Amino acid sequence: MNNVIECRNLTHYYGKKMVYENLNIHVMDGSILGLLGKNGAGKTTTINILNGFLQPRSGECLIYGENSQHLTPATKARIGFLIEGHIQYTFMNIHQIEKFYSGFYPNWKPAPYWELMSKLKVSPTQKISTMSCGQRSQVALGLILAQNPDLLILDDFSMGLDPGYRRLFIDYLREYAKSENKTIFTTSHIIQDMERLIDDVLIMDYNRVLAQCPISEFMTTFKRFDFELENDQVNLKKEPFVRNLEMVKNKVELYTYESKEFVQKFLENNSVGHKGFKQVKMELEDAFIGLTGKY
Amino acid sequence: MEKFSRIILVLVAILILAITLPMLYWMAFEKPIKKPNVFYSCTDDDFFIQRAGTPIIFEDSKGNKYTREKFEQKLPMMNFQQLMVSGLMPDSIKGKAIDIHEVGRNRSFIRIKPEDMNCPKPKLFPMFESQSGRASLELPNDYFRITWRVEFIDAGSNKILEEKSQLFSAALYHKGFAFPAIKIEGIPTTRKSCDEGYLIVDSSNQLFHVKMIKGQPFVKKISLPEGLKFKHIACVDFKDKKYYAYLISDKDGIYILTQDEYELIKFPVTEYDAGNCELKIFGDLFNYNVTVDAEGHTDVIILNKEYKKVDSYHESWPKLSDRTEGKIFGYLFPVELLMEDRNSKYINFYWKGSGGKGWIILNLLLVAVHFLILRQREAKLKGHTVDLALVAVTGIYGFLAVHLFQNKFFD
Amino acid sequence: MWKSIVYKEWLKIRWFLIGFTTLGIVGIGYLFLKVQHGFTFNGGSGFWYNILFMGFQFFGYFKYFPLFGGLLIGVAQYFPETINKRIKLTFHLPLKENNVLLMMHAFGVVCLLISFLLLLGMFVTMSNFYFPSQMVYDSVVSVIPWFLAGLVAYFFVALIVLEPVWMYRFFYTLVAGFFADIYIKSPVIAAYGPAIPGLFVLTILMSVALLFSAYRFRKGEM
Repeated sequence: MNNVIECRNLTHYYGKKMVYENLNIHVMDGSILGLLGKNGAGKTTTINILNGFLQPRSGECLIYGENSQHLTPATKARIGFLIEGHIQYTFMNIHQIEKFYSGFYPNWKPAPYWELMSKLKVSPTQKISTMSCGQRSQVALGLILAQNPDLLILDDFSMGLDPGYRRLFIDYLREYAKSENKTIFTTSHIIQDMERLIDDVLIMDYNRVLAQCPISEFMTTFKRFDFELENDQVNLKKEPFVRNLEMVKNKVELYTYESKEFVQKFLENNSVGHKGFKQVKMELEDAFIGLTGKY
Repeated sequence: MEKFSRIILVLVAILILAITLPMLYWMAFEKPIKKPNVFYSCTDDDFFIQRAGTPIIFEDSKGNKYTREKFEQKLPMMNFQQLMVSGLMPDSIKGKAIDIHEVGRNRSFIRIKPEDMNCPKPKLFPMFESQSGRASLELPNDYFRITWRVEFIDAGSNKILEEKSQLFSAALYHKGFAFPAIKIEGIPTTRKSCDEGYLIVDSSNQLFHVKMIKGQPFVKKISLPEGLKFKHIACVDFKDKKYYAYLISDKDGIYILTQDEYELIKFPVTEYDAGNCELKIFGDLFNYNVTVDAEGHTDVIILNKEYKKVDSYHESWPKLSDRTEGKIFGYLFPVELLMEDRNSKYINFYWKGSGGKGWIILNLLLVAVHFLILRQREAKLKGHTVDLALVAVTGIYGFLAVHLFQNKFFD
Repeated sequence: MWKSIVYKEWLKIRWFLIGFTTLGIVGIGYLFLKVQHGFTFNGGSGFWYNILFMGFQFFGYFKYFPLFGGLLIGVAQYFPETINKRIKLTFHLPLKENNVLLMMHAFGVVCLLISFLLLLGMFVTMSNFYFPSQMVYDSVVSVIPWFLAGLVAYFFVALIVLEPVWMYRFFYTLVAGFFADIYIKSPVIAAYGPAIPGLFVLTILMSVALLFSAYRFRKGEM
C-alpha cells in the first residue's frame, strides 16, 4: 500500500523553542492515524505543516507525493480539512454554506450533510454564529463528508461533542472510512473512544515522540504493573526499561514495554522487596496517561 | 507574485519615508533665516536696511545704525502716514514741493510669487459693465469662457446666453482673435475703483484687451514685439491709472502695459527668475523699487520714473543646503519627496536632491549593516540582491523599508 | 468556482456596500439640496463666484467619504476571514492561494468601483445641472484623488488585517496613514491635476499588497 502522508525529518522551532526534531510520519492509504498529545505538544503545528500553513524549519511533508507547502488545487480537492474548534464561515446559514462549498468540489455529495443537518433542529435562515458549539461542529463535519475527500485531516474533531454523539460519530467515521477506503489523519487531546477509531497511534510529548506504532501493537506491548514497595525510598524511575512511574507513598504504578517476567525478575535480582505485584489491563486513555505522565 | 507584492510595498514605504523623515527632520532642526528688508531712500539716494532681531536693527548700506524714528525719516515715501502723524514729513524733497495727495496717488505695490503662476486658474469670469454710470460695480449674473468662441453662461439657469455670446465672439473674431484663449487675466472683483476688463492671450500668443462698455464689446489688439510671450499677467488697479498690468514674459522679462496708449515698457531688471523668485515692486513719487527675493539672496533694483536703473543692492546669505542643518541633511538623506512645493499650488511628486554627496557614505554604511544582518541570519545573499541594491540607492529609506516589509521567503 | 467566491464575498459585504452607497446617495442629494437653497437665496452668480474665486468647495464634506467606504468594505470583507484564522479555509479551497485572494480582492474592488462610479456619476450629473463643464471638470479633478484614497484604504485594510504579526500591523498602519494622506492634501480646487496619473499608478500597484501578508500567514509567521 502507498503512503498518503509521508513526513520526513520534520524539524520545527518557534524561535528558540524546539517543537520536535526529525519527526517521521507515514500514513498508509486507507488507514487511520491518531496523533495524540497533551495541549501544546505540537499537534496543531503538525496539522499546520500538513496543510501548508507553516513552513517547517527543515524536513518536508508529502501528501499524495506533493510537498504540502505547494499543494496543487487537484490535491487540495482530495483533502478534507477540519480546523481545530470546527471553524467555519459563521456569517452564513447552513444553506448558504452548502451552496458555497458545493461549487468547488466536482464529487460533492450533499446527502450526508443534509442528513446531519436534519437532526440539528436549526431554522433554515439561522446563521451558524448563533448555533451551539455542538451544532457548529456537525455543520463542519457534515461539510467534510459532503466534500467526499480521499484524505480527511481532522484537528481535534471531538472537541465540544457530547459523549454520546462523540461515540456515534467515531463509529460512523470508522465505518465510513473503511467502507469507502478513506484515509484519516486525526489529532485529539481527548483520548476516550479513540481506540475505536484509529489503526495507528502517534503519541507526542513536548519536543519528542513517545510512541509510533499500530494501536494494537501499542496496546499489547505497553503494560502497567502495580505493586507495593516495602521500602518507599527505592527509586526505580531511572531504570532504562521503565517508561514511566507513578508513586503514591509506597504504591507503585510502573509502565513499561517489557514483559511481566522481565519486571519480576528485575525486582528479584535487585532484591527489591515488594508485594501485591499484578498486571493491570489498560484502556487507551490509561495507556496515554501512563506514557505521557499526569502532569 | 508574493515577491512582487513585497517589492511594491517596499517601494511605497520608501516613498512614504522620503516624505516623512525629511519633514520630521526639518521640523526638528530647521532654523529660521532672518532676511533683510531693503528700502531706498529718496532723500539720501542710498539703501536702508531693516534687520529682524531683538532689538530690530535699522542701518544704511554702510552699516551706520539709526533709531526707528530716524530710519523712518529717511524713507518718507514709505512712511508718509507715520511722518504726517509725527509732523516730520518734509515739505520738499530734492527741491520738489511735496503734495501729500500726490504722494498717495503715486504709491503702488505688487507682489508676484511663483505659485501665482503655477496654480489652477478659473476658466470662467464675470464681465463687468465698465461704464454703468453707477458709483460701484455690480456682479453680473453671467460668466464668460473662451473656448471655440466666447460664451456667456447665465449662473441662475446654467444656460448659454446666445445673443451676447455671438456679439462678443464676432467682435473678437473681427480683431483677429485665434480661439481658444490660453490666458484670461483681470481683477474679477467688485471691490476695485473701476473696471478695465480683461487682458487675454489667444492661442497664437496675441494679446487682447477686452471689456464691456454699455453692453457692447470693446476689443483692442495690443501689438507685441515679435516672439514675445507672457507666462504671467498681473492686472493692477493703482490710483495713478498709468498702466493696466505687470506682465512677465516667458524669458522672465518684467513689463508694464500703459493705459490708453497700450505701450509695453520693459524694466531693466535681469536678476528675476520667475519660477523661483518672489518679485515685489513698490512704486512711489520718485522711483520704482524692484525687489527680487530668492532662496539665498535678495536683489533690489531702483528705477527712476523714466524706468531707468539708478541704483541696485545685492545681499546674500547661506542657502539652506549650505547651513549646518542643511549639510547634515545632505549626509542623511539622498533625496526628499514633497507633495507640495513652495513655488506651486499644484500637488505633485516633487523630488528634491538633498544638496550634498555625504549620503553616499551613509548608504554604503547601511549596505554593510544590512549585509552583516543577513550574514548573522545565515540568509542566502542571492535572494537579497534587490534589497541590497535598494539600500545602496535609497539609503536610509530603503534600509528601513526592507526591514519593515521583511524579506523572508522560504523557497 | 469564482461564482462561489463571489457568493461568499457578497454575503459578507452586501449590507455594508448597500448601506455605504445609500448613505452616499443621500449625502449627495443633501449636498445639492444645499446648492439649490444657495441658488434660491443668494443667486447663482454669487454661488459661482465663491467657487471660482474664493476657493469654496461645495462638496468639501465628501473628502473622507470614499476613504471611509474603502475602510468599511475592507473590514467587512477581511475581518471575518481573520476571526479564528478562518483564512485557512480559504487557502484550503482547491485553487491556488494567490488566485483565491486575487479573486476575492477583485470582487471587492469591483463592488467599490461600482459604488464609487455611481456616486461620482450622480455628482457629475447633478453638477452639470448647476455648473458649466469647466467647473464640473475642476470638481472632478478635485474629488478623484479622494476616491483613489478609498481604494488605497481598501488595499491597506486587506494587507493589515491579513498580516499575522501585531507589531507589523502597527507599522503597516503607520505607512497606510501617511500614504493615504498624499491623496487628501490640498484644499485648492483642481490642484491635484499633475499628480493624478502618478496616484493612479500607485493605487493600481497597491492592489496586490495583500498577497504579501497572506504569504507571511501561510508560512506561519507569528
